Amino acid sequence: MGTTSEKNWEPKIVAFLCNWCSYAGADLAGVSRFQYPPNIRIIRLPCSGRVSANMILDALRSGADGVLVSGCHPGDCHYISGNLFARRRFALLNNLLEFVGIEPGRVNFSWVSASEGEQFAEVVKEVTDKVKKLGPSTRLVKRIG
Amino acid sequence: MSTVNEKITEKIRSEAQRLLSSGEIAAFIGYEAGSLPMSVRPFVARKPEDASRLVWNSFCVLNLANYLPALLKSFEPPRRPGDPPPEGPLPKVGILATGCWSRNIVVQIKENQVDRDRVVIVGVPSRGMVSARKVKEAVGERDIQACTEEDHSLKISGEGFEQELNRWDVVRDNCKTCVHPDPVIYDILIGDPAGERQVQDRFAQVDEIEHKSLEERWDWFADSFSSCVRCYACRNACPLCYCPTCFVDDSRPQWVGKSTEQTDTMLFHILRAYHCAGRCTDCGSCESVCPVGIPMRLLTKKLNKDVLEMYGSEAGMSLDEPLPLTTYNPADPQGFVLTEKSEKGGDR
Amino acid sequence: MKALKLDRNAIGQWLSAMAGERDIYVPAPDGPAKGTWTLLTDYSMPEIKPGVPARPVKNFLFPQPETLLKFSTVPTDPNCCLPSEPEENGRKNVVFGVRPCDARSIGLNALACKADTYYQANMEKNAIIGLTCSQVCSTCFCSETGGSPMGTEGCDVSLTEIDGSYIARAMTERGEALLALAESSGKEVTDSDISAVEALEEKARAGSDEIRNPEEQLRAKDLMELYNAPFWQELADRCINCGACTFLCPTCYCFDIQDETLHGKGRRIRCQDSCMFPLFTLHASGHNPRGQKIQRVRNRFMHKMKYFPDRFGPISCVGCGRCVRDCPVNIDIREVMRSLLHI
Repeated sequence: MGTTSEKNWEPKIVAFLCNWCSYAGADLAGVSRFQYPPNIRIIRLPCSGRVSANMILDALRSGADGVLVSGCHPGDCHYISGNLFARRRFALLNNLLEFVGIEPGRVNFSWVSASEGEQFAEVVKEVTDKVKKLGPSTRLVKRIG
Repeated sequence: MSTVNEKITEKIRSEAQRLLSSGEIAAFIGYEAGSLPMSVRPFVARKPEDASRLVWNSFCVLNLANYLPALLKSFEPPRRPGDPPPEGPLPKVGILATGCWSRNIVVQIKENQVDRDRVVIVGVPSRGMVSARKVKEAVGERDIQACTEEDHSLKISGEGFEQELNRWDVVRDNCKTCVHPDPVIYDILIGDPAGERQVQDRFAQVDEIEHKSLEERWDWFADSFSSCVRCYACRNACPLCYCPTCFVDDSRPQWVGKSTEQTDTMLFHILRAYHCAGRCTDCGSCESVCPVGIPMRLLTKKLNKDVLEMYGSEAGMSLDEPLPLTTYNPADPQGFVLTEKSEKGGDR
Repeated sequence: MKALKLDRNAIGQWLSAMAGERDIYVPAPDGPAKGTWTLLTDYSMPEIKPGVPARPVKNFLFPQPETLLKFSTVPTDPNCCLPSEPEENGRKNVVFGVRPCDARSIGLNALACKADTYYQANMEKNAIIGLTCSQVCSTCFCSETGGSPMGTEGCDVSLTEIDGSYIARAMTERGEALLALAESSGKEVTDSDISAVEALEEKARAGSDEIRNPEEQLRAKDLMELYNAPFWQELADRCINCGACTFLCPTCYCFDIQDETLHGKGRRIRCQDSCMFPLFTLHASGHNPRGQKIQRVRNRFMHKMKYFPDRFGPISCVGCGRCVRDCPVNIDIREVMRSLLHI
């Protein structure tokens, strides 16, 4: 994904946001003019329960320096419990990735509601800072010639 | 004096013979003798006289539950998607099951791959299966021409050598740390139940890797998975893998490349293991069949450990409990979530 | 052709002389890569265990993966979507310590790969230094497939161990040139060396078993009778349809072609594929002519034992025994061959 070695390297972060809370939270951050780093590329999904490990790893394989998955707070899911099922899967994936040596902080999870525009900006700042500290992603990245 | 396994073999034969000749089952999944020392081959007995070919010994490493869904389906009349289910009772299938295999059958039943009413489970408490790879190492990788098994020892011989091994020394790692050797569901039980085993440090192998530094863990992963040939023996030997189209065969999008390049091999192994989360019984089939000796079982073992620690659940222990990833608890740990870091409890 | 007697020291010197112009690969004796072909860095006679290493030599003829061409997918690039040659490092290889069965597979595969320019180029690139077998392992059956533990087919130079030293015989012009590099360290062979090798060859011929020239018998058989044989169902019952046999087989040469593209770059690769996988024969229409497991299992053996000999002459099996040794469910190709011969 573009420049990696230069001094002015900026991480590219893929953010999987649920339609009902986190995406709306991002929207609110925008209309409320809360500034956050422009490093994230948002992919809108119906629910955090729709996010599969395949997608997260595909982002890493394609060269994303970081991944953020964000959904509704537990109890607030538009589909009642999608995020609660997802939470178990995310917890296991998070641990498994760490187990095989993927840096903690490459893949991140958060709960942000539709009314939390400021919190959304905070989360993006935090994730961007973390990934910047880690540097360009090298593990599980597919390279073509 | 016949050995424990010889006695079990006798009983398996007579039960299979009885079930097949009475017409109760149409086929019986077991093992027959193989062509090499330390080898057995899965075998589907279809006629009463086939029953005399069945054997039981310490090398029955491939999980027989692997064959169950497809074999049951083979006795169903062909139908297209949307056709109503066939009327009347369908033929039954008999199958041998140790502790872990029976738990896999439970998982298959819960996942609607297997109809409990169509299976006759012949339970055999497991004494632990032997790793042929460990035996080969123990005799210095020499060519093994014969192996005879006693209750607690193995006699291995080849050109110019004969060696006696303590059986337990060469038992597979997953069997050594097994807590549930007895079948959890069965219709007929052969042999005496072994009872729950007390195992200290069931997850010692996982802990050892967890204690490594991040860099060391990555190096371990990269090194020990580098010789993978992508033959998918691990996937195909797994009773959990029955998807009509595996994620590795998806092309839009293509989640993993087809070649043996490091990234694609690693992604295959991560995702294969992850798809077994909350369903794996640590039967060790994947590791036993790997032609190049990759320790992929440690990935599923890690997931088993986390599932047990976080959700207090082990796969396939009962027909009533839901599988851990098909349910949730509002109080599940979520310390890994950025916005929940400060919350107390479950911070991991 | 030239022949030399080399002791272990002389082999070391020869290896380091060859390393000047070629990379030398040997089977790794241990570690996680045990049995895979690894680059030799210390130039002494490597430890080579009896029997075949885990990986066949075909990985040099069909590199995994092999980049066939490259291209750009950037619309503004004037060369967008135009194929270009992949860069080569230009180094040639010596594959050292290849067992006779493996070496023989190179020529068998070449029968089917006559028009395959990549295969031909890789044959050109890789010189084969064979090592005859002093021990026949329990899974070996090369002499039943038309080979021999003393075979030299496919080798540029063939080594035979006699009393701790090696008789090196050049078998091709390329081998002659390579062996010339050992001239300073090796000794001339004596008549007794030659007769010792001949005695081993004689022993290998005498010692082999009941099956001789199976290809002739199999070619004479009716194809449909073999196809409809009763034992295929039992094999299919236990086959789990993994690709272990095909990927470890030195004479399985089927491949898949993939275009990998990412961020404006693309390349066309080929990597090994297996007739055991349903995807292997899946048509774009959704139809699959070998959709059933029994059809795939049968095809693998029919290809090796009937279709290949009918078309090219020999059977497509060199008797290395890897599939026998590593099949998760003990499908033993020796039994299959016998069953076919008895039909």
